[in-house]
Amino acid sequence: MNNIVLPDETQTDSSSDDETSLVVVILDSNPGQKMLRDSPHVLTHCVDSIIAFANSHLMQKAQNKLAIMACHSKTSQFIYPGQGKHTDVRQVDGQYEVFTAVEKITKKNLAKVLTADSSTVTKESLLAGAIAMALCYISRLQRTKPPGATLNCRILVVTGSSCSASQYMNYMNVFFTAQKQNVVIDVCALDQHLSLLQQGCDITNGLYLKVPQLQGLLQYLLWVFLPEPPIREKLVLPPPLKVDYRAACFCHRQLIEIGYVCSVCLSIFCRFSPICTTCHTVFKMPALPAVKPKKKKKI
Amino acid sequence: MAEEDDPKEYRWETGYEKTWEAIKEDDEGFLQASVADMVQRAKRKRQALKQGSQKLGMMRHLFLLLDCSESMSSQDLKPTRLICTLKLLEIFLEEFFDQNPISQIGIILMQNKRAEKISELAGNYRKHIKVLSHLNRTNLLGEPSLQNGLEMALSSLKLLPSHASREILVIMGSLTTCDPGDISNTIENLKLEGVRCSVIGLAAEVHVCRQLANQTNGIYNIILDDNHYKDLLFQQVDPPPAAVCLESSLIKMGFPHQLNNEGSDEPLTMCMCHVDSTEDGSKLTSGGYYCPQCFSKYCELPVECRACGLTLVSAPHLARSYHHLFPAANYIEVNFNNQTFVCFACQKLFGELDKQVYNCPNCKKYFCIDCDIFVHETLHTCPGCATNPLTFQIALTN
Ligand SMILES: [Zn+2]
Ligand SMILES: [Zn+2]
Ligand SMILES: [Zn+2]
Ligand SMILES: [Zn+2]
Ligand SMILES: [Zn+2]
Ligand SMILES: [Zn+2]
Repeated sequence: MNNIVLPDETQTDSSSDDETSLVVVILDSNPGQKMLRDSPHVLTHCVDSIIAFANSHLMQKAQNKLAIMACHSKTSQFIYPGQGKHTDVRQVDGQYEVFTAVEKITKKNLAKVLTADSSTVTKESLLAGAIAMALCYISRLQRTKPPGATLNCRILVVTGSSCSASQYMNYMNVFFTAQKQNVVIDVCALDQHLSLLQQGCDITNGLYLKVPQLQGLLQYLLWVFLPEPPIREKLVLPPPLKVDYRAACFCHRQLIEIGYVCSVCLSIFCRFSPICTTCHTVFKMPALPAVKPKKKKKI
Repeated sequence: MAEEDDPKEYRWETGYEKTWEAIKEDDEGFLQASVADMVQRAKRKRQALKQGSQKLGMMRHLFLLLDCSESMSSQDLKPTRLICTLKLLEIFLEEFFDQNPISQIGIILMQNKRAEKISELAGNYRKHIKVLSHLNRTNLLGEPSLQNGLEMALSSLKLLPSHASREILVIMGSLTTCDPGDISNTIENLKLEGVRCSVIGLAAEVHVCRQLANQTNGIYNIILDDNHYKDLLFQQVDPPPAAVCLESSLIKMGFPHQLNNEGSDEPLTMCMCHVDSTEDGSKLTSGGYYCPQCFSKYCELPVECRACGLTLVSAPHLARSYHHLFPAANYIEVNFNNQTFVCFACQKLFGELDKQVYNCPNCKKYFCIDCDIFVHETLHTCPGCATNPLTFQIALTN
């Protein structure tokens, strides 16, 4: 027997206990993020590291699946396998050719994304939206997989931007959906600490890592994010940080320990106000701090 | 028993006769596809009705009135009405608290003309599930008394503060009720207190149930089969429109954070939630959530502080409910004529089978029907809107 067995395209998911892993990598390519504004060439380094990471993932198991998305300033899109039919790519028949295909397609499609819009620059990367797309993609693969097959899915976000509270609602929606669908969200922060995305990792049992130095990105990707979630428990990984789940008031975006919540829309305020600025409900005057509700008859 | 978990396992022959006729009218020859299609269409329809009513009762207090009379031993649901009900309730409770994280449920049994409260109003679903799990060996006796059940629920709901949304969900297997007095007085009182009462009948229409639901703005339905039963239960997961007499107020809440133990180990302390429990779980622990007002410790959120009464939640608990208030805009169904070749979200290629595609009124992207349903049932964020700097906050402004 040969030591190296080239996987054959036709032998996919034959046995029912075969588990397949899908990784959807979301690369933040928004030129508005601070890291890229300071030194645009960093992106090439990131892309190369991600492609190497992606190929390592595909190498681990013949059936493993991969998708790569670019989260750009005006939209997000899949750059691998690429939108729709890619007729221009020659049919690949061996694993090694898959590797070159990943690099070729990813770079070609990313170049398209990068050149497509350069007009307006937004600082904020809409990562929650990209994750939403990834979840739809994953949900389709789960729906259409052969009966009996198991598909373990995770999303890896690689970004140099910072979190902003303006996407709070979208972030929470995608985190809870991922949790429900058993999709793990991993986050690799390249430049700044991301407190909201860190909550997402915590909610979905993913890993959060702020890389100490960008030069070693590939090492971090391979050591921390390549192992599948069930294996991770056995590895020595960076200890989980305590996640700050305190609420930020809607009025000043300040972290608070005690606040007032609108009973109609659940908006959070740091002090009593007679009207809810979110849903415009008018409140009656503050109730006594008494807790045990006394029997009160309405007039 | 596992088949109840499979959503595709519809028992068309028993329940959905009308749908069956519709399937035959389809002349495309894709029978299976069109059945699934119809289910999807029904889902879209229900979704479309959801939007609109903006004032919802978010802080729900719901009493589950469970018929445990002799009629529940009937085997028209497999294996019995009771076992089937308990299994569905387990899934329902989990979903309910997932979608209504700061709400509370209590459980009352109706059996042998009496009512018995087996679970007090509380927000911890595991506790309720435990109580329910002991019920499968219960003796199903005599007739239920709907009036006694309702009165017992009402006496608890009456005590709640005025901003609390009050509801009763009756699961009724029996066709009769044995009441000590005039039930219409009870219904009148429920109406006065703004308690919304819904009934799921397992057998056939009962006049008094219809009356109860109608008078209190509830819903009354009779199940067709176990899948329909699950459907009806899950309709109760969405918060109902706020009752007219529901007062709005600002409620003081605490957002505890885990104390940072920088290097030093936290002392082992007893948490308040397990302080009087005799189970194995009651151990001294380090770490936990501390009430910001009185520093009592709890190992789980959300919880109402036993010492000072402050409701303790985490911000994501509240965020789980926001989608009820800020839903993603409904997509518009349009005939497919090559507007685009791929679904924006899931990358499915549109082909000949896609007669309709779905267009978001805000971001103008096109989606497949599966994504339409996934976005509006589960995700609650439009992927097209959320990736566009012009529209990513649109749900908040609508
Ligand atoms: Zn404030
Ligand atoms: Zn409000
Ligand atoms: Zn405890
Ligand atoms: Zn307290
Ligand atoms: Zn789709
Ligand atoms: Zn949209």
